[in-house]
Amino acid sequence: MATDEKRAELIAKLRNAVIQYDEDASKEAAQEALTEGMDANDAIFNGLVSGMEEVGRMFEAQEYFVPEMLMCADALYAGLDILKPHVKQLDLGVKGSVVIGTVEGDVHDIGKNIVKMMFDVAGFTVYDLGRDVPLDKFVEEQMKTDSDLVCLSAMMTTTMTGMKKVVDDLRKKNPNVKIMLGGAPVSQDVADKYGADGYAKDATNALKDAINMIASLKKMKDEVEAQKAK
Amino acid sequence: MNARERILKLFAGEEIDRLPCFSGFGNVTTEGLRSLNQKFAATHLDAKMMADAAASTHKLFGFECGVVPFDLCIEAEALGCEINVYAHSEDLLYPTIKKKLIHNEAELDIVIPSGLTGRGRVPLMVEAIKLLKKDIGAEAAIGTYVLGPFTLAGQIMELNDLLKLSFKKPDKIGKLLDTMADTIIEVAREYEKAGADYISVREMGATSDVLSPRVFKSLILPYLKKIFAQLSVPSVLHICGKTNDIVPFMAESGARAISVDQKNDVAETRKKLGPQALIFGNYDPYNVLVAGSTDLVRQTVKKCMDDGVSAVWPGCDIWPTVPPDNVRAMMDEVRKYRRS
Repeated sequence: MATDEKRAELIAKLRNAVIQYDEDASKEAAQEALTEGMDANDAIFNGLVSGMEEVGRMFEAQEYFVPEMLMCADALYAGLDILKPHVKQLDLGVKGSVVIGTVEGDVHDIGKNIVKMMFDVAGFTVYDLGRDVPLDKFVEEQMKTDSDLVCLSAMMTTTMTGMKKVVDDLRKKNPNVKIMLGGAPVSQDVADKYGADGYAKDATNALKDAINMIASLKKMKDEVEAQKAK
Repeated sequence: MNARERILKLFAGEEIDRLPCFSGFGNVTTEGLRSLNQKFAATHLDAKMMADAAASTHKLFGFECGVVPFDLCIEAEALGCEINVYAHSEDLLYPTIKKKLIHNEAELDIVIPSGLTGRGRVPLMVEAIKLLKKDIGAEAAIGTYVLGPFTLAGQIMELNDLLKLSFKKPDKIGKLLDTMADTIIEVAREYEKAGADYISVREMGATSDVLSPRVFKSLILPYLKKIFAQLSVPSVLHICGKTNDIVPFMAESGARAISVDQKNDVAETRKKLGPQALIFGNYDPYNVLVAGSTDLVRQTVKKCMDDGVSAVWPGCDIWPTVPPDNVRAMMDEVRKYRRS
């Protein structure tokens, strides 16, 4: 076990590596965390994810823009790839599996990939269909994998309307599935009209939503730990 | 004063009877397609069908322009990208790039293929502009568009890589943008020769939702300037999304007019740029024009004019399923408006 002092130092290293989009520093710190016997979950959530939360804040404050955020995400993945095999499976009380993709006619997937990263980090099973995905494929994949959540992304007004068809088809086949829409032209109004459960207003909010999800997962994790401690 | 005269006078800075209501982007409607008995997917590949579809919005609603093309792949295709036109689909889908040209940093150094303007659909576009001009060119202004250098670069390589390399290797990306600018100039000149009255340059990839104003100014603006210096017909620089911080740079680009969408605070932009600047915008073409009520359309269009736009103009392509009554309400609201 790492000492408290060492733990704090490694957490700061991981966090800063993400914020300063330094992939090498992220890898090094992740490796060091393992060598020091630090808990992988601790390193991921309090180090990498905490760094990404700060990136989200900087993005909203317009200190960072999309290129910086993409580089931060690369740094996060660099550390995550090393730490993930050492994560002890936690029973979070939720069966997190999600189908995600950008709808047919749309080849923009940056926002989708950032949301996907957050699900990855949170330990969800992610079925990423990629971009320019034929509309039927979402329904098919959801049925095949029995996922709880389907996330649809569209960057253009001209492709957004395809999401309505997917929502309708999903509802017909499986009334209980949760559906989240995202992308620049989507609004709460559109999400309501299309009958979706949630929506992420833009890249900022998609990230915020994803972070909120992780924050609530963190809370759940803490509660699980607290239960165990009793 | 007919629509074409009104728009040309606007660009020339001359007095006009009222604000024009037109666009620099696709504005074909399903109503128009129905009147022609045409399918949307087919219009991208046939000059006559494209021109007929483009003319229909003017013919049906008095919309004051005709604009071709409808998709964003013309230049990328001429450079050598493969496109997907979704010919199988009955839905309203726009062509996309199927195969990129640049797959990694090592491939950034591309050359413009010889005979660029004979490649892909550039000849079809030239034909479509001519046909459109012959059809409605006496009464309506004929517009066309090209992509901006950064947005075109995002079509021929992964946007992910382009964004990161803009940060890590700005020199290399600068060189690529220069090549993009040369490509765009070559294509735009063909459109000018074919008879386009005005050309919009769509640089939506450089919105402040994605890139910092600092990077916009240092990395992208120089190549936009290069393009606008080479165009002879009136030009419009369009950027959607967040643009409040970059409108001074947009105005500096050399474009005759700037075009912004519903995220721009036009009253503030007008204050920044002064009374002479041509500012086009800025209604939401989907949530207002397609999905809104006629009341919302009227209110929104009125607000655009109150805020100080120089022409009522959409923030993006108009989605074809627009209700005819909404287009009529918009046209009516613009016609009856008197600036106080």
